[in-house]
Amino acid sequence: MATKTKKKYRSKKAVERGTNIAIYIILVIISVVWLFPYLFLILQSLRGEPGATTNYFFPKQWTFGNYIRLFQNKGIKMANDGSTFVATTGQYNFLRWYGNTLLIAIVVTVVQTVIVVATSYALSRLRFRMRKPLMNLMLILGMFPGIMSMTALYFLLELIGLTQKMSILGLILVYVGSSCMGYYVCKGFFDTIPRSLDEAARIDGANRQTVFFKVILPLSKPIIIYTILTAFLGPWGDYMFASLLTMGQPDYWNVAVGLRDMIQRESLANWQDGFQRFCAAAVIVSLPITILFFILQRYYVEGVTGGSVKG
Amino acid sequence: MANLSLKHIYKVYPNGVKAVNDFTMDIEDKEFIVFVGPSGCGKSTTLRMIAGLEDITAGELTIGDLVVNDMEPKDRDIAMVFQNYALYPHMTVYENIAFGLKLRKMPREEVNRRVLEAAEILGITDYLGRKPKEMSGGQRQRVSLGRAIVREPKVMLLDEPLSNLDAKLRTQMRTEIAKLHNKLGTTFIYVTHDQIEAMTMGTRIVVMKDGYVQQIDTPKNLYNYPGNKFVAGFIGTPQMNFFEGTLKKTGDNVEIAFKNTDSRVTVPYSYFYKTRPSYLNGKAEVIIGLRAEDLSLDRDEVEKSNAKIKVKISHKEELGNETLVYGDINMEGDGFGDSPTRVIIKSTAEVEYVPGDVVEAALNLDRVHLFDSKTEVSILPRVPEFNYLDCSVKGGVLSFLGQNLKLPSAIQCEDCTGELLIPTNAIKLGGTIAANVISSETVCGQKLLALELGGRRIYATTDQDVTEGFVNISIDMKRLTILKDDEEIVQPLPEIVSFDGSFKKIKVVDDVPETEEERAKRLAKKNASPEEEPVLTKRKKVVRFLLNIEGTDFPVSEEIAQKLITALTVKRVFDKAYRYECTPYDIKFADAGIEAECVGIADYGAEKFAKCKVGEKEIYVKLCDGAPEPAGKVYLAPEIEKLSIIQADMDIRLV
Repeated sequence: MATKTKKKYRSKKAVERGTNIAIYIILVIISVVWLFPYLFLILQSLRGEPGATTNYFFPKQWTFGNYIRLFQNKGIKMANDGSTFVATTGQYNFLRWYGNTLLIAIVVTVVQTVIVVATSYALSRLRFRMRKPLMNLMLILGMFPGIMSMTALYFLLELIGLTQKMSILGLILVYVGSSCMGYYVCKGFFDTIPRSLDEAARIDGANRQTVFFKVILPLSKPIIIYTILTAFLGPWGDYMFASLLTMGQPDYWNVAVGLRDMIQRESLANWQDGFQRFCAAAVIVSLPITILFFILQRYYVEGVTGGSVKG
Repeated sequence: MANLSLKHIYKVYPNGVKAVNDFTMDIEDKEFIVFVGPSGCGKSTTLRMIAGLEDITAGELTIGDLVVNDMEPKDRDIAMVFQNYALYPHMTVYENIAFGLKLRKMPREEVNRRVLEAAEILGITDYLGRKPKEMSGGQRQRVSLGRAIVREPKVMLLDEPLSNLDAKLRTQMRTEIAKLHNKLGTTFIYVTHDQIEAMTMGTRIVVMKDGYVQQIDTPKNLYNYPGNKFVAGFIGTPQMNFFEGTLKKTGDNVEIAFKNTDSRVTVPYSYFYKTRPSYLNGKAEVIIGLRAEDLSLDRDEVEKSNAKIKVKISHKEELGNETLVYGDINMEGDGFGDSPTRVIIKSTAEVEYVPGDVVEAALNLDRVHLFDSKTEVSILPRVPEFNYLDCSVKGGVLSFLGQNLKLPSAIQCEDCTGELLIPTNAIKLGGTIAANVISSETVCGQKLLALELGGRRIYATTDQDVTEGFVNISIDMKRLTILKDDEEIVQPLPEIVSFDGSFKKIKVVDDVPETEEERAKRLAKKNASPEEEPVLTKRKKVVRFLLNIEGTDFPVSEEIAQKLITALTVKRVFDKAYRYECTPYDIKFADAGIEAECVGIADYGAEKFAKCKVGEKEIYVKLCDGAPEPAGKVYLAPEIEKLSIIQADMDIRLV
C-alpha cells in the first residue's frame, strides 16, 4: 500500500522546478525574437562600412558618423518646377522634423491628459442624464479607425486653413479632438477609488474641485502617467494624418513622414550610408519614449491607494 | 450640539425603488440614536440623507433651527465616520485629521492644538506621522473618529464604524465610542446591523425594515415591549421563540393553546385588558413569543410552575457560563429548522441534557408576547389604540361600564347590545364621568393613564401630569365605534378628508411688481428715496402653479410647488395623480371652489359638521359656531397651506 502511494506522488519542488525551466525557456525565446530587431537597428546605426545590406550581423567598423551626418544636412532642395517635390540630392532636415514632432507631441500630451482625466472623473463620479448613452456613444465612436474620417477632416482643416504650412496646428487639433474617447481606462481607475473618499472630503468641507485636486489627483498618479504615455505615443508615431496634412511641405513633416521619405527616396543601392542613417534616426526617435518611460515607470508600477479603506 | 428633526422623510430612487418610507423622528440634543435593521432596510440611506450625501425626495430635515434639505454636506456642521474608514491614503494621520480644519482656513496653531487634543483622546499621538497603510484596522478607525471629532460638529454620524473590526476590537471600540459620546456631549447617530451594538450604545434605537420604521424606543423598552414580531425577533440573542396558537377566554382566565401540541396554559384575564376581545374567542390565530430566558428547565421551577410545556430536546450549544438547549414542542419536530414549534431555552451550564429526551419546561407568562398572526403587530401593545368594552344602546342612550350617555343626534343607532370601541386618545380629562386613576406612566413622550371605571380598567392618553385618585373624564362622541356581530353600526367621524386631483402649471400674462434689485437700481439711477418712488409693475408672462382638486383649480405657493418638483422632477411631476388630505376643520365654505351638495348636518352636541357629497365621495366639514346651516349646493375651499399632498400611486407624502 505504502509503495503505491509513493509512486502516485511526485515531489512538489521537482514539479515546480520543471515548470519554471519550461517557462523560462519560452520567455528567453520570446525575448530574443522581440529584442532582435532593436539590436539589429542599433548595430546598423553604428556600422561604418558602406552599403545597404551586409551578410554578417556585427559591424566590422564601428562609427558614430551616421548620427553626426544625420544632423549635418540642412534644408531640402525643391525641384525647380515648384509644383511637386522631387528627390534630388539626398538632403533632409531631420532636426526640424524632430522639433516639429516633439512640439506637437508635447502640446497634445498636455491638452489630452487634462481632457481625458477631467472627462473620466466626470463620468466616474457625476450622475447626470444621458451619462450612459454618452459613454456608449463615445466607446463605439472610438472603435472606428480614425482613418475613416481622414478625408473629411482634411477638407475641413483645409477650409479653415490649417493644412500645409499651418499643419502643425492642424495636427494638434486632430490628435486632441478625439482625446476624450480614451476615457475608458482612466474611468475604470477612478471607479476603483472608493467614493467614500469623495464623500469624506465633501463632509470635511471640500467642494468638487478641492476633492478632485487634493484627494483624487494625488491618488491617480499611475493612470495619469499611463495617459501621458499614450497621449505622447499617438502623435509621436503618427504617419497617416501627418503625411496628408503636410503634403508637399517637407519643412512641416514629422519624423514618421520624414523617415518614410528617407528610405523611399534614398534608393538603398544608390546611396552608400542611407540605410545606416535611417537606423540612426530610428534610434533617436525611440529615445524620448524610452526616457519618458524610465522617468515615469516608478509611479506607473506603484499603487498608492493602500490603507485608504478596508481592503 | 443640536436637535434634529426628520419629518415624513422619503427616499425614492429614479427607478421607483422606495428606500425610506415616511421616516418621522425628533432627536434631542446629546442623544445617542442607533439605526438598526437588516441589510437593505434603509438605515444607511437615512444617515446619508442626514449627512447630505443623498438627496431627500420628500419631507423636511431640520438640524438646530435650520431646514437643511438643500444644504451641502460641508455647511450642515456634521461629521461622519465611514464603515471603510475612508482615510486619505496619501496623507499622514496628522494631515488626515487636520484636512477639514485646513479647508476651513483655521489658524495653524489652532489646527495643531485640536489635532493633538483629538489624538490624545483617541490614543494615536504616536502615529501622527504615519500613513494609513502602516496602521491596523482599529487604529485607522480611530483616525477616522479623530477626523470627525476634531471639527467639533453639531452631529456625529457613524455608518457601521465597527463592522470591519474583529470581535475583540469591536467590543473595545464600542466602549470607547460610548465614552467619547459622554465626553463630547454631541448628538450621535449610529448605524449598525448588529443589535448588540445597538442595545449597548443607544439611548434610543430605531428599528427599521424594508424602508419602514418599525419601532423607536429605548433599548430596554424594545426588549420588553416589542411592537411587532419583527422587532421581537430582531432584538435579543438568541432570537425570541415564536409559537402558533389560539387564546380562549373562559371566565376570568384565558387559556393559551399551542398549535401542534396538546399543551395548554392558563393566565388571568387581567393580562389582556389592552387586547381586542375578538382575539380571545379560541379561533383567531396568534403568535406567542417567549424569550429563551423566560422558559426554564430547572427542576424546582418546573415543579412549582403551573404553566408547563413538553419539549423534546434536539441539541445544545454550550457557551461556557450557560447552555442553549434546542428542542421542539412538537414531538415529531426535529428542533433544527426555524419552525413555529422550535424552542430555544437558556439553561445553566451544570446540567447535562441528552438529545432525544422529552422534558418539561416552565413558562414565565408574566413576560409573554402576543402578536397577530397576519399583521404580526403586538396584540398586547404598550399603548393600546382602543378600549374594547361591552355596551348596549336603548332609546338613544349608550350604556357601558355602569355609565349612561345620551347619544348626540349625529349618532343614529337602533336598540342593541354590542361592542364599544373608544380610542384611548378620545378620553379627555374634564367632564362629568368620574374615574379612578390607578397608574400613570410616560410612554414615548405621552402619559398613559390606567383608569378604573365600573370595575374595569380602561386606558387614556394625555399630555398632562395626573396624580392617582379620582378625576373627571369625558368621551369624544364623534370618535366612537359600535360593533354588533362584528359589523360597524356606528362609525366614527372620519378624521381625514381626502380629495383626488392633479398638479399643473400655466403661463399667464400678469402685472408683476419689480424685484428688489431692479427697484434698488432704479432708485440709485434716479437718486430718489424709496418712500417717494412708487413700486412699478410690469406686464410679464409668468408661470403659475395650480392644484386641481376634484376638478377645481386652486393657486399654490411657489414653495409648495418647488417641493413637488424636487421630489418628482419636472418631467414627471405634472402627469401624476395626487391625493390631497386635510381634517374637517381645514375646509371652509366659500363663494367659489369645489362644487358639493350638502346632504345633512351631523350634530355631536359640542360640534356640528356638514355632511357634503363631492361626486360619490362623502366628506364632513366643520361648521363654525353660530354660522347658518348650509343646504343644497355649496362650494368648498380647503386651506391650501394645511393640505397634505400625497403622490397617489407611490404613496409618497410630498407636503
